[in-house]
Order: sequence, then C-alpha cells, then structure tokens
Amino acid sequence: MTSVHFERVSFTYPDANERVLDDVTLRIAEGSFVLVTGDTGAGKSTFIRAINGLVPHFTGGEYSGSVTLRGDTIRNTLDNAPRDLADLVAFVPQDPSAAFVVDRVEDEIAYSLENLGVERTVMRRRVEETLDALNIVGLRERSVRTLSGGERQRVAIAAALAPGPRILLLDEPTSQLDPQGAEDVLAALQRLVHDLGITVVLAEHRLERVAGFVDLAVGMRRGETVIIGDPAQVLEQLSSGPPVARLGRLVGWSSPPLTVRDARRRAQRLILAAPSQDESVAGSPVLTASGLRAGYGRHLVLSDIDVSLVEGEIVALMGRNGAGKTTLLRCLTGLHAPQSGTVEVRGEAPVAGHNVALCPQRPESLLFAETVAAEVEATLNAVGSQASATAVLDALGIMELRDRHPRDLSAGQRLLVAIASVVATDAPVLLLDEPTRGLDQESKTRLVRFLRSWASSGRTVMLATHDVELAAQVATRVVMIATGEVIAHGRSGDVLGDSPVFAPQMARVFGPGWLTPEQVAAAVTS
Amino acid sequence: MHQGAWLLWALSGGLVAITTTNPFYLLPLLGVAWVVHAACGRTGPQARSFRIFLIFGALTICTRTALVLLLPDIQWGNIVEAAMEGLRLAVLLTVFGAYNTVSDPFGVLRLSPRRWHEPALAASLALSIAPRTIAAVSTVREAQRLRGIEVRRWRSLPALAVPVLETGMEEAVVLAESMDARGHGRGRRTRYRPERWGRQATVVAIASLFAVLVAGAALFGDDPSLALPAWPIAWPEVSPVMLGAIVALSVPAWFAAGDPSRATQ
Repeated sequence: MTSVHFERVSFTYPDANERVLDDVTLRIAEGSFVLVTGDTGAGKSTFIRAINGLVPHFTGGEYSGSVTLRGDTIRNTLDNAPRDLADLVAFVPQDPSAAFVVDRVEDEIAYSLENLGVERTVMRRRVEETLDALNIVGLRERSVRTLSGGERQRVAIAAALAPGPRILLLDEPTSQLDPQGAEDVLAALQRLVHDLGITVVLAEHRLERVAGFVDLAVGMRRGETVIIGDPAQVLEQLSSGPPVARLGRLVGWSSPPLTVRDARRRAQRLILAAPSQDESVAGSPVLTASGLRAGYGRHLVLSDIDVSLVEGEIVALMGRNGAGKTTLLRCLTGLHAPQSGTVEVRGEAPVAGHNVALCPQRPESLLFAETVAAEVEATLNAVGSQASATAVLDALGIMELRDRHPRDLSAGQRLLVAIASVVATDAPVLLLDEPTRGLDQESKTRLVRFLRSWASSGRTVMLATHDVELAAQVATRVVMIATGEVIAHGRSGDVLGDSPVFAPQMARVFGPGWLTPEQVAAAVTS
Repeated sequence: MHQGAWLLWALSGGLVAITTTNPFYLLPLLGVAWVVHAACGRTGPQARSFRIFLIFGALTICTRTALVLLLPDIQWGNIVEAAMEGLRLAVLLTVFGAYNTVSDPFGVLRLSPRRWHEPALAASLALSIAPRTIAAVSTVREAQRLRGIEVRRWRSLPALAVPVLETGMEEAVVLAESMDARGHGRGRRTRYRPERWGRQATVVAIASLFAVLVAGAALFGDDPSLALPAWPIAWPEVSPVMLGAIVALSVPAWFAAGDPSRATQ
C-alpha cells in the first residue's frame, strides 16, 4: 500500500529563481526504509519537509501539485498544516538540540502526546513504551541540555515516535554521532520498520552507514529529475555510494556492492599485493602536550593526555561522543586552561589565531561578512597579514564562491569558507572540530585535497572526527581517546584496521592495513 | 519544587523590593536572591545569566546616580535618593535573575490555563532567549578569537553580533518548525504529569505570602522604615518583622541544602 504519494510536485522558495522540486512524481510503499541522497542544495531537506507539509505551509513560496499521505485516513499536505498531520507523520530535524521544547527528557517525549490531546493514562503507557523502544529509560529524569550527541538524537527520535506516527522523517540523523551511536540509531530505526511497519524516510550524506539498511532510495541532483528505486541502482546513476561501491567501480564490477558483506563475497576473486603503507611522517615536533588534566568544575574530562604533533602530518582525533575530543582541542589552543600539564607550540604557549587556529563545530559561529572574500580578508586584517584572500580561497578550491554571501551557501560550502577564514591566520597548527556536518561528497573531496596540500607545505593538521572513511582517506596518524585518556595511537592502518567499531569499509573487507578503495584498486594484480 | 511556588517566590521578592528604598531591607533581599540562586540554581547557561543580571543591576545603580549628577545645584540628598532607587531596581533585577536560574521557563508554560497557552508560550520563549543568547555570545567570541579577531572595539562588533543574531534566528526557526510538526496548537490539549504541590512548595508559598502581606501592611500603614531618610540623611529605622519576612524568603535554599540528591551533583 502506498504510504506517501507525490503527484507532480513543484516548489520554489520565496525570493528564489530556481525550482528546488521540479515536477516530482513518486510513490513510497508503506513500511519502506527510504534513503534520500544527493549533493547539498539538490533539495533533500525540501523533499523531506514537503512530506509533512512544512513545505509550503511554513516556508511560503510557490507550490503546485499534491502530496498525499495514507495512514488510518488519507490526507494531503495542502489542506492540512503540519500540526494537523502530527499524529500521522513525525519529523526529526538535523540539530535536535535546537528543537527541544521542554527541559526534562520524559516531558519532551510527552510533549506531542499532550498536543494531540491523548488521555493521561494512555499517555503514561506510551511514554514508557517509547522509552523502552529507544532504550533510554535511564535518561528520563535528565535535562535535555545535559545529554551527549547520541543520547540527544535518540531522545529526539523517541519524542517523534511517541504519538505512534505511520511515517517518520529524519534529516541527517547520524551526522553528529560516533560510529557506534550511529549504528544504534539506525538499528533502532530498522526495528521500527520491521516490527511496526512504519515508513522511515531519511536524508543522509554518509552512505557507508545507511546503505545496508535501506530498501529504497530517492536520488536528487540539482536541475535533474528525481529518481526513485533500488538503492544500488539509484546510487549507480548518481555515481555515488559507500567506499565499497567506489571500489566496485574502480575494479570494474558490474552493479557495485552496497554493503561490506556483498563486497566480501565478490572480493574473493581479487588477488591483491600486500597493502602499501604510507611511511609515517617524521618531521620535527610542532606541538607538544604533556600530562594534560582538564575538566569543568569537579567534572574531569581529560585525565592524563600526552600528544605530540609533528610537521607535515594530518592526525585524526577519534573517540566516542563525549570522550573529550573538543576539550582536548580547546586545551591545545589555549582556550581552556588545563588543571595540570603543559601545551607548547614550538616552545611557546599556544596563542589562538597566532600559532594555532581552530575551526569550530558550527561554521555559522564564525561567518559575518557580506561576501566570502571579505570573510577571509577580515582574518587577514586582524592578524596583520599581507597575503591575499585569493590565494587562500584558491587553496581550498572555492574561488568561484568569492563574491557570494556566506549565508546563501550550502552547509558544505559554508564549512569550507569557515576553514578558509581560519586558515588565513597562517598558524602552523590547524585544528578542525568535526568538519563533517552537511558535508557532501563534492565538498569532502575539496576538503581532502586542501588538507593534503596544507600538510605537505610543512604545516600540521589535527581533525576531530567521527567520519571513519574521511580519517582513512586523509589521516597519516590516528589518536584514539576514551574517558579522557589516549587508548591508541599510530598509523591509520594499524589503529583503524584493528578496531571493530572504527574500521573503515576496506579494512572490513580485506583486513587490517587497507584503508581506501583507491589503495586497494592500485594493489589488484589480476 | 512546583513551578507555581517559584513564581510566587519571585513575585513576592519583586513586590517587597519595589516597596522600599531602605538599604537595610534591600541588601538582605539581594543576599537572599543570591543564596537561593547558589543553592537551587541549575548549572549551564542559566548560571551565567545570573551574573549578567547582576551586572545589569550594577549598571542601573550607576546610571540612576549619574543622571542626578547632571541636575543643577544637586545636594547629597538627591544623590542618596537616586542611588537607593537604583539599588531598588538592581535588587528587582537580581530577584528576577535568580528566578531565571531556578525555574524552567517551559515549566511555567505548563501551569498556564489552556486559553492562555499562546501568550504563555510567547512569554516562556522570551524567558529562554536570555540564556540562549548569552551562550551564543560566548561561543561566537571564542570562535572569532581562534581566527585572531578579538571582539573588543566597536568596529569588530559585527563579528559578534551577526553570527549571534543569525544563529539565534536559525534556532528559532528550527524550534518553531519542530513545534508545528509536533502538533502544537491543535486545540484540545491534555497534561502528562501535573507537577505535584509538595510540602516544600507550601512552605515557600506561605513564606512568600507572608512577605507580601508584611510589605503591604508597611506600605499602606505608612511605615517610616520603608524609605531611607534623605532630608537630612539619617540612619533608617528597621522593623524586625519586615526583616524577618525578607529572610524567610530564603527557605528554598534551606530545602536545597537539606536535600541529599543535590549535594552529590
């Protein structure tokens, strides 16, 4: 039975010239697990918001066509505002912390039920069931402001599910989660699809996590017709996909695999030379931190950390949500004073913006200028540099954006602009705090290219990230922390390949030491 | 504790503050607000917002006094009067600041009768804006420092203001979207778990009502101790009952001190 039916839907945002959705017609069957994929700016968020009527009721703009939803009743989004559809379709936005309405977890979950006028006795039961379904009983008394990223996402999903919707929409639900947290959330969603027959529609960039779960994909590309179908075929048409699919394309398999299991089966026929290992970078040390203990008040976050970064290396800082990655970066920039221990950059204390620069998690907290070029010039002026903004923009490959307004850019492009404005300080040490939210394939490619050239010019980069594949692609070394201590460090191949949670897809298929499809393809001997 | 009790506490503290210019009443009330904030306040951005309210309070005293200095032929009496009026406003702000850190703005929302839901929602959103903005300001300042821009001079103000306002707007849109998508304003609303009015809430309510009654009686009985004599300047009288009523407003802090679940936090 059809659950969502788009019929010739077209939509243009107010003050925009181009249509975001152009004559979209498609059906999603009930109980499907649907992936919406495509580059940023292609309209993924718009598509998802069109399902529960936020487009056009909330956004305004020019809208034609109709979206029909089928649950116990049949309703369309034109005659029904989002609040009238709240019992049928639920929505979890990208940043759940901005969407929480009340303070306590339990009350947050009850909020939709209260709005729908559910009787108190029924409500009690539903809240308990939902807490169990998402395995968050232990969080019920907590304030939503104190939750970690993964907990927050699970609470947001629970809050959306409590009224028992037939359709669940999620906008990048795993972009801020560590690999295990993402896996848990996806497994929970899959259970909902299997056990309750709910239709789940999610937009996601990082395909390696979701590709194995979904059974239907909607592919979107700017200015092209929306396609829907089997995930493998849709991703093939978009020439995107997880690393295993990229490998399939590189070695010429027909219909590239989507999951590690698929790939493993087909890889048995490949004969590989031994994995080529990058030599570890042996430059002179730039930043040394020793015996770092730091925290907030009585709450200790880092217990005893020694880190040393050398010239020319790109270090991935990895670990669970809440392991202390951000605190460590803040200590390394001198923003957060450690309780004990020292940080030195070439023998001096770290000075933010001078000998160490950091790009924060939310690029929006940096950007204020009218154009991209002016954004970079603001930094150059502040640090008294004579360099030109053009050179910096060129290094990041975003020359064509120079006269655009940062606000009008996609999330991935905005991140690149934020990095440009930080890089303009020309500090020898560049730190990036989770540069992955909203980062599509194209922006990621530019980021990787930039990081490599930046490091090869003798600077040092450390990036905190959950994106295992990005780390596998770009890092020369990995530092893994847990509960405020370094638990592993060394070459990416050794550290990542070994870990059941953090291993990239290639290591899962071919064993430790293998990191990227390109590396594997180069080693194929027959 | 029940949000209604907190609301009573704040209203009572505010009413007492505006009835008097006597520093021997105002300063203890300031102390009471501080103690309650310290004992019952939540941590996080709210805690920081209390400091901002204190700063604003201090600014009120200064500006109120400074304005008087502009008058022709001023006398000490004018200055003292102005300073005490400033202090009164500052204490009012501090009581409100303490209330801001101890209460849950959305808890108040749940207390409101159904037909007042919309205005109450607007009020709670407004209450939550202060702590959110304060958190955003410190995040943005830090982020700008990391690229070498120190937000100190007027010229660099856009580097602070633009991101703060923009992220604030974006968050507001996300919140509004999410509330709409979760059925807000659909009409008949039920309540999940009404807050329980416990013994502590009763005690706080009694203390609050007592303070209001005492202050009201003093006001309507023309109690001379309410005002600091400024012509000529003299030591004010102090009524022990009034002072007692003010000190009684610190009961929430006593409860928090005796509550083992808070001590471990």
